[in-house]
Amino acid sequence: MQAEPSKLSDNDLLKAIARGDEGALAGCYDRYRLILFSLILRILHDRHEAEDVLQEVFLQVWRRARDFDETRGRAFTWLVTIARSRALDRLRASGSRARIATEAEAAPRESMGDAAEDAVKSEEGEIVRRALAELPEEQRRTLFLAYFEGLTQTEIAARLGDPLGTVKTRMRSGLMKLRELLRDRSA
Amino acid sequence: MEHQEYKELLAISALDALDGTDALHLEAHLKTCVECRGEIVELREAAGLLAHGAPMQAPSDDLRGRILSAARAEGRARPGEEWSNVTRISRPRKSGFGTQFARIAAVVLFVAITVVLISMLLVAQREITSLIAAVEAQKIELNREREARLQDQKALALLMSRDARTIQLAGTQTAQNARAMFVFDQKSGRAVLMTDGLPMTSTDKAYEVWFIPKGRSPMPGKVFTVDASGHAMITDQMPSEAMNGAVIAITVEPKSGSAAPTGAIYLASPAS
Repeated sequence: MQAEPSKLSDNDLLKAIARGDEGALAGCYDRYRLILFSLILRILHDRHEAEDVLQEVFLQVWRRARDFDETRGRAFTWLVTIARSRALDRLRASGSRARIATEAEAAPRESMGDAAEDAVKSEEGEIVRRALAELPEEQRRTLFLAYFEGLTQTEIAARLGDPLGTVKTRMRSGLMKLRELLRDRSA
Repeated sequence: MEHQEYKELLAISALDALDGTDALHLEAHLKTCVECRGEIVELREAAGLLAHGAPMQAPSDDLRGRILSAARAEGRARPGEEWSNVTRISRPRKSGFGTQFARIAAVVLFVAITVVLISMLLVAQREITSLIAAVEAQKIELNREREARLQDQKALALLMSRDARTIQLAGTQTAQNARAMFVFDQKSGRAVLMTDGLPMTSTDKAYEVWFIPKGRSPMPGKVFTVDASGHAMITDQMPSEAMNGAVIAITVEPKSGSAAPTGAIYLASPAS
């Protein structure tokens, strides 16, 4: 008898998907749709395109779940990396980077639903958000420009009007802070 | 670069923000440094956490169904399969007669399809070649018609010109039914010749125009052929020596023309 997808660990969920288990894909979607959609939308600032990309991401998961190697990192990282890559590809493909943050950002959070979904609006998410809020403004801004806008160190330096060396130092410091969080949690 | 300098690039690389020579140097370094490779994996994990920094938003409800349908359409689903969370179920595939046959059938099918496709391609190529030839032929035809129209227009303009003079040519014994009209502009020498009733020449021969000024040897004009109804209309240039009282004659010559008349005279203007 098939186990309830929502009870499986991320790793087992991906393994099941790799075996062609549609229920597992649905379970993965239910578990990750919020974080992945939020990420993609933050990058693209367009709901319609973000939904297209979310679909692409889950089809890629469906096709390539067997590529996931749990010894090389967490399922969470694998999934957000796919989502970020696809979203940045779409961003670059549509030429203009001058998208403005639309009402998508300002819109009130939609009802998150039941407990399974609340697992995503998770403890980890809260911890990370608090840590990000505590970072110095310039470090956070530098990290966000790199992560959500796909800018390189040189482009960030140009955008902020700061020396390249300063930008590099801020990125390093900010990322080290996040790495500490991970180490603390696994400790 | 010192090793410490490479280490300082790892975080930036983990954010995919490394560019320029930094990126090249680090890429080369990572090929040989296990420590840095390990650290960059850890830093990528940390970078992934930034996803939590995006404001929470939900996609439309109907997207779930669309995604699952699309996945199903890709045909990898094997629903109802049992599994355990301890080991993957593996089903080794033995090579039996059934699989051999299937493989051979697949190869045969592949070859057959390839052969069919290649022959279709060859047929298509032949058709394309003949179509191109047809288009080219039509282009040539079109050009001929355009040329003819142009000639007609020139002739008309000439006939209407105030400086136009007309010389009538009559058929000789050889071509009693032939007639021709030679109209030329006294100022420019541009001329039009219109013939009627000339028999078609054999394929190796053509008609040639001659201008014979008083007391001088014939000067060659255009070489031309007539159509099936004996008509020709050609433009020519009256040499200045022939402007005053020359005789105009038309003879049959070899089809590339002659320097001096060799064949029979078919048409001539009266000696004035």
